[in-house]
Amino acid sequence: MTNDALVTFEGVVKRFGSFVAVQRMDFEIAKGEFLAIMGSSGCGKTTTLRMLAGLEAPSEGVIRLAGKPINDLPTWSRDTPMVWQSLALFPFLNVIENVEFALKMRGVGKAERRRRAEQWLERMQITEFAGRNISQLSGGQRQRVALARSLVVEPEILLLDEPLSALDAALKVRMQSVLKNLQRETGITFVYVTHSQSEAFSMADRVVIMSRGKIEQIGTPQEIYRTPRTRFVADFLGSSNIFTGKVAAAEGGIVTLNTPAGALSLASPDPSAHAVVGQTASLTVLDTKTNLALRSPSGRDLNAIPVRMIGEEFIGATATVYLETRDGQEIRIQKSHEELANLPLQIGQEFEAYWSYDDGHLVMEH
Amino acid sequence: MRKTLSLYGLTFSLPLLIWQLLFFVFPLVFLVALSFWTVKNFRMQVDFDSVNWVTMYGRSVFWKAYGTTFALAAAASVLVSALAFPCSYAISFKLSETARRWAVFLMVIPFFTSYLVRVYSWQIFLSDAGIINVMLGWIGLGPYALLNTVGATMIGYLTLTFPLVVLLQLFSLVFIDRTLIEAAHNLRCGRLRTVFAVIIPSARVGLVIAALFAFILSFGDFVSPIYLGGGDPTTLSILITDTTKSGQQWPRAAVIALTMIGTLLVVAFAAVRFAYKGRTK
Repeated sequence: MTNDALVTFEGVVKRFGSFVAVQRMDFEIAKGEFLAIMGSSGCGKTTTLRMLAGLEAPSEGVIRLAGKPINDLPTWSRDTPMVWQSLALFPFLNVIENVEFALKMRGVGKAERRRRAEQWLERMQITEFAGRNISQLSGGQRQRVALARSLVVEPEILLLDEPLSALDAALKVRMQSVLKNLQRETGITFVYVTHSQSEAFSMADRVVIMSRGKIEQIGTPQEIYRTPRTRFVADFLGSSNIFTGKVAAAEGGIVTLNTPAGALSLASPDPSAHAVVGQTASLTVLDTKTNLALRSPSGRDLNAIPVRMIGEEFIGATATVYLETRDGQEIRIQKSHEELANLPLQIGQEFEAYWSYDDGHLVMEH
Repeated sequence: MRKTLSLYGLTFSLPLLIWQLLFFVFPLVFLVALSFWTVKNFRMQVDFDSVNWVTMYGRSVFWKAYGTTFALAAAASVLVSALAFPCSYAISFKLSETARRWAVFLMVIPFFTSYLVRVYSWQIFLSDAGIINVMLGWIGLGPYALLNTVGATMIGYLTLTFPLVVLLQLFSLVFIDRTLIEAAHNLRCGRLRTVFAVIIPSARVGLVIAALFAFILSFGDFVSPIYLGGGDPTTLSILITDTTKSGQQWPRAAVIALTMIGTLLVVAFAAVRFAYKGRTK
């Protein structure tokens, strides 16, 4: 355990009857970091957060907050305020009364309470709504009230359960920067549960990817994006082309796989990956690192496979080209319009897809 | 947007409209008219005279009965609300889905039996030689005068209103957003404090409406004050029967009845306003 760990999960398991929501989980949350827990619905991410908040008790294992076990501490004895997906603002209280609530529960005097609540309203730029009812606010304003209500006690940690999911796309992006700035300025540890990759990757220092109650990978967004540790992560992120096959050779830092699309190689800088010949493994390559040419490219250390174009899609400055390999696997290439300008992009056109050995990444099947 | 009446809508609403007109609006108008009639030589005469209003409002016995009735109904309303709340709270928050359904069913059962029958059976419990006094006698206590007391009247009011108040409270409690309760706990609001800080404010409309129903039913009740309270102290409903019996004073009785209706309207209006206070659409 490192010194700056604020929260540690040690062998934490959560069962609901015979259903295992969270399987044996070990990880740490560092003081002051922005951690996102990501996964599809039912993966156990919200349960993990609720255990941290004290709204669910772990079936096994220990959760520590600042070194102390908190398993048996009821939620009202912990300082783990949470921002709910539904926000859970009190409709019978106005904006400032909502923000004051936690202070009132702590026995803070009336004047002091009002002063501190007003500070947070100002910080969240909602001072003018202090006397309004919750029902009179817009989605974004409610969001800010919910944040102020949780942060007014200046906690060490803030838990957020998909707080932006109800907002429209533009507001979502704006609130993301509000959240990120808030976290940076206050230095409060944020634990942010989301199913949205863009939210997790744009805000978090580290991301935990969960699937079926298990942690698949923990790392910085960069690490996870470039080097997915499991096939699930690569699939889930959806930004890589994945070729699965058997390891044909592994020597001199080059691993070669026999895949239905052909023999593909990659440079494996990590000797601990120990690819064993005959084992099933996958090669992943980012769709932005995959290139397209009319003729087979010359050059060393390149993988090239024949493909046929089946579609394209334009989103802003980038284009996504969908292609099909000889064996029927769909792959994607993402490039700027300039990079694709010289290619005859027509459905049915034959191309060569190629990428460098260095851009390939090995994922062993477990 | 203006709503226009269609033939389809009219077909379904007309019978109800006619019913309301025939058995509510018409009698009410008649009651108002009746209160201005006069009685001469034990015979009622069509008239337009304010004498009944002046007489009744000038009598201390009327105002005493009015005060008694209002106080008893208000007390019953507060008491039954306070007693019913732990019950409806437990049903909505502590019971499983199945158990809750059974509890609701059990709360409906009292309505199977006539209220009059239930009040009569209370007499068997409360009378001097009744079940309670006999049992107290076994341990050398009593007999106590339980029947014909204000306490007995109150028991009657509870019998009348308790199941209904529990049901009404229940329907507002079960619809409280559970995340609000979790959010309160999460913000350091303990269990008991959450009841007062979150649950009661959230369920305010239902709780006030339930109390209002308890008040309305108790305020107009005749059965409990006469059969359990023994007609003493006199409530307005008892005063109405007394007035009609003494010298055919139906117009004066109409004055009492109209005063009661007016009071209930004011109370109901105030209660609904209080229930929705601070809420905007």
